[in-house]
Amino acid sequence: MYSCLDLSGHVVLFELGQLYPGITMEFGKTRGRVTPQELNPSSGPKPKRVPKMVGRRKKEKVKRKKNKANIEELKKEVVMDDHKLTLEELSRRYSVDLTKGLRPEKAQEILDRDGPNTLTPPPTTPEWVKFCKQLFGGFSILLWTGAILCFVAYGIQTYFNEEPTKDNLYLGIVLAVVVFITGCFSYYQEAKSSKIMESFKSMVPQQALVIRGGEKMQINVQNVVVGDLVEVKGGDRIPADIRLISAQGCKVDNSSLTGESEPQSRFPHFTHENLLETRNICFFSTNCVEGTARGIVIATGDSTVMGRIASLTSGLAVGQTPIATEIKHFIHIITMVAVFLGVSFFGLSLMLGYSWLKAVIFLIGIIVANVPEGLLVTVTVCLTLTAKRMAKKNCLVKNLEAVETLGSTSIICSDKTGTLTQNRMTVAHLWFDKTTYEADTSEEQTVNTFAKDSDTWFILARIAGLCNRADFKPDQETLPIAKRATTGDASESALLKFIEQSYSSVKEMREKSPKVAEIPFNSTNKYQISIHLREDSSQTHVLLMKGAPERILAFCSSYLLNGQEYSMDEEMKEAFQNAYLELGGLGERVLGFCFLNLPNTFSKGFKFNTDEVNFPMENFCFVGLISMIDPPRPAVPEAVCKCRSAGIKVIMVTGDHPITAKAIAKGVGIISEGTETAEDTTAQLKVHVRQIDSRDVKAIVVHGSDLKDMSSAQLDEILRNYTEIVFARTSPQQKLIIVEGCQRQGNVVAATGDGVNDSPALKKADIGIAMGITGSDVSKQAADMILLDDNFASIVTGVEEGRLIFDNLKKSIAYTLTSNIPEITPFLLFIILGIPLPLGTITILCIDLGTDMVPAISLAYESAESDIMKRAPRDPKNDKLVNYRLIGMAYGQIGMIQALAGFFTYFVILAENGFKPADLLGIRHDWENSYVNDLEDSYGQQWTFEQRKILEFTCQTGFFVSIVIVQWADLIICKTRRNSVFQQGMKNKILIFGILEETFLAAFLCYTPGMDMALRMYPLKIFWWLCAIPYSILIFIYDEVRKFAIRNHPGGWLERETYY
Amino acid sequence: MCGGRGSRAGPLPGAGIGTLARPLKRLQRKVSGGCGGGSSRGLLSHHPAGDSTSGLVVEGRERGLILLFYLVFYGFLAALFSFTMWAMLQTLNDEVPKYRDQIPSPGLMVFPKPVTALDYSFRVSDPESYRGYVDDLTKFLKSYDLEEQKNLTACPDGALREQKGPTYTACQFPVVSLKGCSGVEDPEFGYSTGNPCILVKMNRIIGLKPQGKPRINCISKGEKTATLSTYPSNGTIDLKYFPYYGKKLHVRYLQPLVAVQVAFNTTSTGKEVTVECKIDGSPNLRNQDDRDKFLGRVVFKITMHA
Repeated sequence: MYSCLDLSGHVVLFELGQLYPGITMEFGKTRGRVTPQELNPSSGPKPKRVPKMVGRRKKEKVKRKKNKANIEELKKEVVMDDHKLTLEELSRRYSVDLTKGLRPEKAQEILDRDGPNTLTPPPTTPEWVKFCKQLFGGFSILLWTGAILCFVAYGIQTYFNEEPTKDNLYLGIVLAVVVFITGCFSYYQEAKSSKIMESFKSMVPQQALVIRGGEKMQINVQNVVVGDLVEVKGGDRIPADIRLISAQGCKVDNSSLTGESEPQSRFPHFTHENLLETRNICFFSTNCVEGTARGIVIATGDSTVMGRIASLTSGLAVGQTPIATEIKHFIHIITMVAVFLGVSFFGLSLMLGYSWLKAVIFLIGIIVANVPEGLLVTVTVCLTLTAKRMAKKNCLVKNLEAVETLGSTSIICSDKTGTLTQNRMTVAHLWFDKTTYEADTSEEQTVNTFAKDSDTWFILARIAGLCNRADFKPDQETLPIAKRATTGDASESALLKFIEQSYSSVKEMREKSPKVAEIPFNSTNKYQISIHLREDSSQTHVLLMKGAPERILAFCSSYLLNGQEYSMDEEMKEAFQNAYLELGGLGERVLGFCFLNLPNTFSKGFKFNTDEVNFPMENFCFVGLISMIDPPRPAVPEAVCKCRSAGIKVIMVTGDHPITAKAIAKGVGIISEGTETAEDTTAQLKVHVRQIDSRDVKAIVVHGSDLKDMSSAQLDEILRNYTEIVFARTSPQQKLIIVEGCQRQGNVVAATGDGVNDSPALKKADIGIAMGITGSDVSKQAADMILLDDNFASIVTGVEEGRLIFDNLKKSIAYTLTSNIPEITPFLLFIILGIPLPLGTITILCIDLGTDMVPAISLAYESAESDIMKRAPRDPKNDKLVNYRLIGMAYGQIGMIQALAGFFTYFVILAENGFKPADLLGIRHDWENSYVNDLEDSYGQQWTFEQRKILEFTCQTGFFVSIVIVQWADLIICKTRRNSVFQQGMKNKILIFGILEETFLAAFLCYTPGMDMALRMYPLKIFWWLCAIPYSILIFIYDEVRKFAIRNHPGGWLERETYY
Repeated sequence: MCGGRGSRAGPLPGAGIGTLARPLKRLQRKVSGGCGGGSSRGLLSHHPAGDSTSGLVVEGRERGLILLFYLVFYGFLAALFSFTMWAMLQTLNDEVPKYRDQIPSPGLMVFPKPVTALDYSFRVSDPESYRGYVDDLTKFLKSYDLEEQKNLTACPDGALREQKGPTYTACQFPVVSLKGCSGVEDPEFGYSTGNPCILVKMNRIIGLKPQGKPRINCISKGEKTATLSTYPSNGTIDLKYFPYYGKKLHVRYLQPLVAVQVAFNTTSTGKEVTVECKIDGSPNLRNQDDRDKFLGRVVFKITMHA
C-alpha cells in the first residue's frame, strides 16, 4: 500500500546537489521553554505516549539553573522507538488517522498543550550584562580595586583633615575613567563582531503542508503539533521530527544534523535500531532534497533531535579562556607583590614613627602604585589589533579573549566535509586499459595532464558525457569549468565537469548524438542506461550504461583494451576486482561504464520502450571505471603538516563513513603515510579495537558505534595513546564527548563545525570555530570564532597569530611592568629616607597612560623571533603569561636600573640647585610643612615652601624624563626574549614611532607653557635629560649580555632563572 | 618546508592495478615527510623546564644561586650608582650652587617660628601662654648678641657691600635698632605688657643685590584695631648686608631684621589684628605672586586675650 522505491538501504550512488541549509530558528514571541523530552536510557519497557510526557513536563517550570544531570542526559543518544512501530501502532499512539490526519480542534488542543513548534532561543545575555562583564571582568577588577582604595585614602585624608593634597582623588578618578573607557572600547569591539554575526541570520518564515481532518492546508511551521500528518516534497524544510508513512523517491539532506553530506533516501520501513540511522525518520530543520513523503509528527520544537542539541548547547557551562586564566594568574602575582610591599612598608613606617593614619595612607598608596594603570588598555588594544589582523585572514573572532586561545590550542577537532575537503565531488581516478590514472583534483583544475591518446578513453569519455543527466546552468561561459553551477547530482556533475574539461564540450557531444531513450538510475537497479544515435552513422544506435561497478560487470561479456574489444576473461575480472577494491578503499565513489552498439535492427526511428525493455540487455562491452571523491582542499595538507610541526594534534570527527574518512585523513596527512591504523588490524585479526596493543599503532579510526559503548576512561586511553585519530560515523553528541575527553587530558581544544549537531562541541571547546559560509546560525552563535572562508588552513594562520600575540603580550607586559619599579621606589624612599617625593602621582599617570602606551602597543606588531609554528603548544600549567622570571626581570633587574637612573637625575637636579644629597635625608618633615618658608639648603640659602615645591616638581619632571629615556632601552630589549636586537633588526616601524612619540610627548609635557599650572611639570635644563643615558646604555648592554648567555647556554642557569 | 599538494599526476608508468597505490603513497610521503615523520616531539623548542625542579638539594642550590646573583647584581648597581653620584658631586662648587634661578627673589619669614599656622595667640595674664614665643625669639636673637657680634665688621650704611675674597666678612647688626623688640630692655618682648613683638626677616639668597632702598612695610588689615610700629624706623633694610656669599664663605653672616610691635587700641573691643608685611622700595624684589604667599610678603594674625 505504501510504495517505496529504495529498498536496498545500500550506498546510494546518485543524488542531487548537496544543500547546506542554515537553520532558521524561529523564535516564538512567547518565551515559554519546552523541556527536552525525558530520556529512557534503558532499553526496557517502551515509553508510552511520549508527547504526554512532554506535556506533563512542561507544567514543571524549568528553573534557571541548569540541572547538571539533565545535561548529562542530553549528551546521551536519543532513545525513541517511534521508528520501530508499525503504522497501526503509530496511528494508535498518536491517535491520528493516517490518511485524514488530526482533527483541527484536536491539533489546536495539542498546540495549546505543547506550545509552538519552535526552538527555544538560547538565553541571550542582555546588553547591559555584557557591558558590565567588560567593565568588571578580569583585569578591570584590579584597577577598580585601585580606584576604590584611592577614594578610601582620600576619604580618610579629608575626614581627618590630613594634608590638602587631592592626588588620591585624581588618581582614583583617572583609574575609574581608564577602566570605563577600556570597557566601552572592548564592548564596542565585540558588539561590532556580533553585528557581523547578525547579518548571517536569515529569518524566513517557514510554511508546512499538513493534513488535518482530511484537508490539506498550509500552516506556519510553528503551529505544527505532535501527531500531525504532514507532507513534504523536494526543496522543503522538514517542519518537525517525522515518522514516514509513505514516500516517493524521497531524499533528505541531513548534513546540518549529522554532517553527512550525501542526501539519503527515506522510506517508511524501519532499517536501523538507531534513530539517526534509520531511514523512516525525517528530522526537524533538515532539508528534503527530492521526492515527496508523508509522515506523522513525533516530536516538535525543543523535543526534536535538533531541539535537544540546541538545548544541550545553551545548557553547557563554558570554561575560562586561557588568556583569562593567565590574567587571573597575573593579577594574583601583582596583588601579592603589592600587598607584600604595602604591608612591609606599613610596618616600617610605623617603626619610623609615622602616625597610624599616615601609615594607612602609605599602605594604600603603595598598593595603588603597584597597579599598572596602562596595562589594561595595552592588553585590550593588542588583542584587538590581532583580532583585526585575523579577520583579514578570514578568521572572525567573536570574543576578544579567544584571539589567544587559538595560539594555545593543542588539539584541533576538525570536521571533514567542507573544512578539510572542498565539499564538491570531483573525479579522482580513472581505470581503463587495465591502468589507473589520476585526475587533477586541485581546486583550480587549470592544467590537465591527462593522457588522451587511448581509444578506450574516447569511449569512456563519451559514455560519461552522454549517459549523464547533469547539465551546466546557462550563462556561465566566462567562468572556469570547475566553478560553474550545474543541475543534477554531485556525481553526475563531477563527471560532466571532468569530461567538459578533459575531453570536449559535452553540449556538442549531446547535439551530435541525441538521446532517444533512457532508464534513469534507481537504487534497485543501481545503473543508468541511455540510448543515443551514433555520431558516425546517424542510422544506428548505441546503448550506454553506467552504474555500480559489480552490476555493470555482470552485464558485460567483453572489455576494451586500447580501443580493441576482447572477450571477458578471468584475468580481466581479477584486475577489475582489484581496481574496484583499491579505489573503493580510497574512500572514493566508483562507477563502472559499458556500452553496446545496437545492431541494425534498432535503426533510427525504432521505438525503445524502457518499461518493458525491448532491446538487448546483455553482452555489453566493459570500458572502465571512474571514481570520485570530495577532495581535500589544496592548502589543507600543508596546514595539517604545519599543525603537526607546531605540536598540534588534528583529530578528524565526521559523520561520514570510516573508509571515506580514512582516505581523506590520509590525503591531508591527519593519518601519515605508512601508519597502520588499528582498524586495519582489527579487520584482519577480527578482534576489537580495544584489544590491539595500542603501542604498536599510532593511528586509529574509531567508529561512532564503538565510541558509544566506550567508557570515558577508554576514550581517554585512545586520546592519549594514539597520535593520529579519526572518528567516523559519529553522532551529534559524540563530538562533544570527544572534546570533553581531550579537555580532560589538559588540552586546549579547538573544535570546528558547521552543523547544528556541532554546536554543543563548539560551545564546550576552548575555542569553537564555526564555518562562515556553510555554517548554521546555531553553530555560529555557539562558536567563538568564525572561519569566513571555511578553510582549515585559515585556522593555522589563526594559530600563528594567537601564538605571536601571546609572545608579544609577554613582551608588552614586561615592558609596562618594568616602569613600575621606578614608580614605586620614589614613594618608598620618601617614606623611609624622608626625602622630598621624587615622583608624584600625576607624573606616574603621565608615564603609565601617556608615554608608555604607544611603545607597549607597538610590541604587538613585533615579528616572531623564531618559527613559532615549530614549537609545541604552550603548556598552560607551566608556561604562564606572567611568571616569576618575568617579574624578576622587570622588577628585580631592569626596573632597578631604571629606578637608579631616575634617582640619579633627581639628586642631580636637587644638588645643582643647592640641596646636596646628604642634607636631604630626613628633610621631609620641614619640606612638606607649608609654614616653613625659610628652609635652608646646603649653601645657606633659604627657600619658601612654594619655591622648593617648584624645585620638587622640577625634580619629578626630571625623574619622569629619565624613565622615558630608560624606557627607550627597555623597549628595545623587550623586542626580543632570546635573540639579540641585532639579529631581530629594527624593522618594527610602529616601535620606532613609539620611541619618537614618547620622547616628543615627554618634551611636550615638559616645555609647553602652562604645564606648570596644569600638570605641575616644569621645564628642564638640557643637561638633566642626559643624566639617565648611561643607565639606558647599561640596560641595553646588560640585557644583550644576558641574552647572549642564554643563546649560548641553552637550558643553563641564566635561562632557567631569567628567560620569561 | 611542507610538501606541496602534488596530487596532479599524469598517466602512471606500468600497467595494472598494483600501481595505483604508489602515487598516493608518494603524495602522503610528501605530506608527512615534510613534517619530519609526524613526530613533533623532537622539534619542540628549548623551553625552560617550567617551575619544576627535582629534589630539595637542587632547589636549594638554585635558590642560593639566585640570591648570589642578585647580591652581585645589586652590589654592582650600588657601586655604579655611588660612582655616578660621586662624579656628579665632584662637578659641584662648594661655595655657590650651580643654579640659582629657582630662587630669584627672597621670601619673608616671621619669628617666633610659626608651627602650624601663622597665628599667634596668647594671654597677657598667663606667662605660660607666650613662653614659647619668647623662648623662640630669645634663641633666635642669640646670634645677634653683642658678644657674638664683637668680631664682625662695622660696615658703612647705605651701600651694597661687594667683596672679592678670599676672606669674606660679615657686618654687624646692632640689635638695639630693634628698640623695644631687641630683648635687651624687655626680655619678654612686649608680650607681658600686651605689646607683642614679631620679627620679620628676608630669606638669604646667595648673590642677591637689592636695588633701590628696600624696606619692610607692615600694615594691619581690616579694622584698625591696633597701631603698628616697625624698628628700625620705617622698616629699612640696609644694603650693607648684601650680597650674601653663602654659608661656606660668608661665615657668621647676620641677616638684617625688622621688628613689628603691635599696640592694640584701648578703645577697640577686639584684641585681634591681622598684619601684612611686604618688601617695598626695591624694584627687583618681588612682593606679589599668586601662588607663593611668602614671596616678598607675609601675613600673620595676632590674638591677644585679656
